Amino acid sequence: MTEASATSENPTVGIVLISHSRAIAEGAADVAAQVSAGAVRIVGVGGTEDGRLGTSLDALVGAVEKVSAGAGVVILPDLGSAVLTAKAYLADQDGTEVMVADAPFVEGAVAAAVTASGGATLAEVVAAAEGARDVRKL
Amino acid sequence: MSASSDHEVAVEEVAVLAADLHARPAGQVTRAATGLDARVWLTVDGRDEVDARSVLAVMGLGAVTGQTVRVRGEGPQAADAVAAVVAVLRTAEAAPA
Repeated sequence: MTEASATSENPTVGIVLISHSRAIAEGAADVAAQVSAGAVRIVGVGGTEDGRLGTSLDALVGAVEKVSAGAGVVILPDLGSAVLTAKAYLADQDGTEVMVADAPFVEGAVAAAVTASGGATLAEVVAAAEGARDVRKL
Repeated sequence: MSASSDHEVAVEEVAVLAADLHARPAGQVTRAATGLDARVWLTVDGRDEVDARSVLAVMGLGAVTGQTVRVRGEGPQAADAVAAVVAVLRTAEAAPA
């Protein structure tokens, strides 16, 4: 699990990346944390406890708790059951401080992490992730 | 619009890139431009301006060492925001291989 600490006097938005593959989720979290100079609360979760591909609502709940610092949390799923698990999380919780971003996984993670590390609000971090869809690489 | 229009500032400055504007320096640029009451745009080599708050758009400029980046800011804290971004561009370190 990848995690980097953020300053506590100004809590930043937390980010959870969820994929079927732990390697994908943790790798994307590594890249996003590095581009944002480590000043962001981000974790990647994925896979089953015995190391197979899959997603777990319990693992997602734990990850959200881990990155939550009072400024809200963005969940970024890659595809398939990761999306369903993220939606299940939203259906179960009644607060508004957790949002799911509909965005390209790696690019959205990087955009969200950099934006969060700059002290942006939850809505701004979600917008940054979702804006990743429209940015050309070439 | 803000009533305090006398505090609105427009600033423009150029910076010669100390390193290629890859992922990490782009992240530093966006972080420098976030959290201040200002909007900042970058352009290089006559390309369309990009919002400095979009790290992916900053990377997408494809700017490389030695190129001159034009930095434009608007808003009450534009001077600080542009100065912060220019400082990153001038001091960015090359990414390890």
